Amino acid sequence: MKDLVRQKLSIHVDVMDLLNKQIEQEAHSSSAYLAMASWCDHNALSYSADFFYEQAAEEREHMMKIFRYINDNGGTAYSPEVGGVNHDFKSLEEIFENALDQEIAITKSIHNLVGKCRKVNDYTTEYFLQWFIAEQMEEEQTMRRALELFDLMGTEGLGLKLLDERIPKIRNKNTE
Amino acid sequence: MKVLHQSQFFISYQCDKQRCFFIKFPHKTIQLGFCQLLAFRQQVKEIDLEAHFNGQNPHGMEMLMLCNREHFFIFNTLESIDLKEFITGTFAMLELNSLLTTSV
Ligand SMILES: [Fe+2]
Ligand SMILES: [Fe+2]
Repeated sequence: MKDLVRQKLSIHVDVMDLLNKQIEQEAHSSSAYLAMASWCDHNALSYSADFFYEQAAEEREHMMKIFRYINDNGGTAYSPEVGGVNHDFKSLEEIFENALDQEIAITKSIHNLVGKCRKVNDYTTEYFLQWFIAEQMEEEQTMRRALELFDLMGTEGLGLKLLDERIPKIRNKNTE
Repeated sequence: MKVLHQSQFFISYQCDKQRCFFIKFPHKTIQLGFCQLLAFRQQVKEIDLEAHFNGQNPHGMEMLMLCNREHFFIFNTLESIDLKEFITGTFAMLELNSLLTTSV
């Protein structure tokens, strides 16, 4: 019997399911960052707002990368539904903490995907995911640098303003 | 045409010559391309069996449209349960076949 599946699809079917789950995660992440951007905007933290607007756009790019990868390789990508986006935050520090938690969750999910690829010998997808592993490492570092600022600088009145102005510098320069 | 998997109500076949699949339902047999088979699988995966038992789906009916809405099916609870097993079994056989063809 011919391997018709392989003729049509270069990704393992179970891996494709996980990639579709990843699409949902990236979409949720994008929406979550957008909510954070909005909060920052309303609280006159314009540098942080810009930072999160950019994060939101990046997450959407990640989503599209996976989306196209699935379709380009014969699978079917599903447009994600996004629900449960939190808009309530206590402080900018809490926002960056949430952002770090979110990135850690995504790193875990990518690692889990790579593990699955290895189990089912889907080397193509494993290779595709290498970029995401490096990306996640940088994203976590960026969020940690933000949290370090809170340890160094005060968050009262002027301190918070100064901190906000430092936010554009937390991105890794080497990667831009 | 080779049988891939047979469950209580359904049978799947692969046709090498036409490079497609067939599914035999109790009342009719339909032809599917691979993408359509994937879409079918997705719809079956999304069936919430729990809803049949906790009152959310009191009639216990599932409606599925296949192949760009060419076919329309209604399944009862028993058929829905069988359908999930059937799809899992069919894809397990396809994977087994992949393993066999790569190792030869
Ligand atoms: Fe991402
Ligand atoms: Fe990210």
